Amino acid sequence: MTPQADFGIFAVSVCAGLIGSLAGVGGGILVIPALTFVFGVDIHLAVGASIVSVIATSSGAAAAYVRDRMTDMRIGMFLELATTTGAVTGALLAAVVAPAFLYVLLGVVLLGSAAMHAGRLNEETPPAEPPSRIAAAMKLSSSYPDHRLGREVPYTARRVPLGFALMWIAGVVSGLLGIGSGVLKVLAMDGAMRLPMKVSSATSNFMIGVTAAASAGIYLGRGDVDPQIAAPVALGVLAGALIGARLLNRVSNRAVRLVFLPVLVAVGIETIGRGLGFGL
Amino acid sequence: MSPQRFRLMVSLVLAVGVGVSATLIGAGFVAALAVGWQGSLVGVTTTASAPTTDFGGLTSRLGILEPLAIAQLGLLTLLATPVVRVAASVVAFASEGDRLYTAITAVVLAILLASIFLLR
Repeated sequence: MTPQADFGIFAVSVCAGLIGSLAGVGGGILVIPALTFVFGVDIHLAVGASIVSVIATSSGAAAAYVRDRMTDMRIGMFLELATTTGAVTGALLAAVVAPAFLYVLLGVVLLGSAAMHAGRLNEETPPAEPPSRIAAAMKLSSSYPDHRLGREVPYTARRVPLGFALMWIAGVVSGLLGIGSGVLKVLAMDGAMRLPMKVSSATSNFMIGVTAAASAGIYLGRGDVDPQIAAPVALGVLAGALIGARLLNRVSNRAVRLVFLPVLVAVGIETIGRGLGFGL
Repeated sequence: MSPQRFRLMVSLVLAVGVGVSATLIGAGFVAALAVGWQGSLVGVTTTASAPTTDFGGLTSRLGILEPLAIAQLGLLTLLATPVVRVAASVVAFASEGDRLYTAITAVVLAILLASIFLLR
């Protein structure tokens, strides 16, 4: 890599870290096409770098999100039960399932979710409700400090079984296709469980690092992680995630939705493209 | 442990993991600009033949301060950070006296470790 290319990769990665930390996704959607199309990096090395980017986004922003009570640690850990078992199932299924159809199906689901998400664009906080029995038993109610609104916002997880099932599917999808795990997590928490958008994003951010770490060994062993590419990506993404983590506190839930929506649409389109055999 | 200290502990684990890995990756990157990825900061002449994606022989390559090895150690630290964080959460939930979440987090840690060592 020339120093110019190094700097270019670093700059793209700062953007990926910034968007990823705000939207609760890994930033692979930005990193992989930029590396392959603009910098001519081999697709395997680009995917390896994107795993590094997911973990960097997650860890870089999560330190601040956990401290500032934006991340719900209990909801995150509870749902990790579903995503980790789902990821193992997906990895085992990968040998027997033809993924082309699944890519198209996932893409259609994501685009459909985008339409629903657009309908909620102006919702600042979900309506308050008493916790359900399962939410009370599993301690899935809490509150977060919203600096933008200048008050503590209480919330409770609704439709817990549905959210848990969607998280399991998110795990299967990431184990099987290696894509879309962040957007599906945000959708499960924001759309199904009706958590505030910022809590959904920060908690997804916390979770994606764990999911990615589970498969990082595979990529390392395959020789997909090349420090010549992964080093500038990791440094850029960390810098972007640190900036994003400072921003989340100050922007509105609506602004976070506005960042998330195009990411969701882009992942949906890219996923369908993959299923149809063109694109990446 | 109070919820406040609990959060600070998990947050600290993350910050240290990120800080150490960023320092190592940054140091390896800068060193590579000076002596090349497979050179040596202490002037040992190397005959690098392994691809840069090979994480083998890390200790001996760290011994001669190879920029590649320094960056690889940083990347490994970064990849290990989420695992250490889950482990720290087990301890933190336990010291908070939350048995339910100590158990849930321990199960997640077990699945995570199993998938790291079994899925390859």
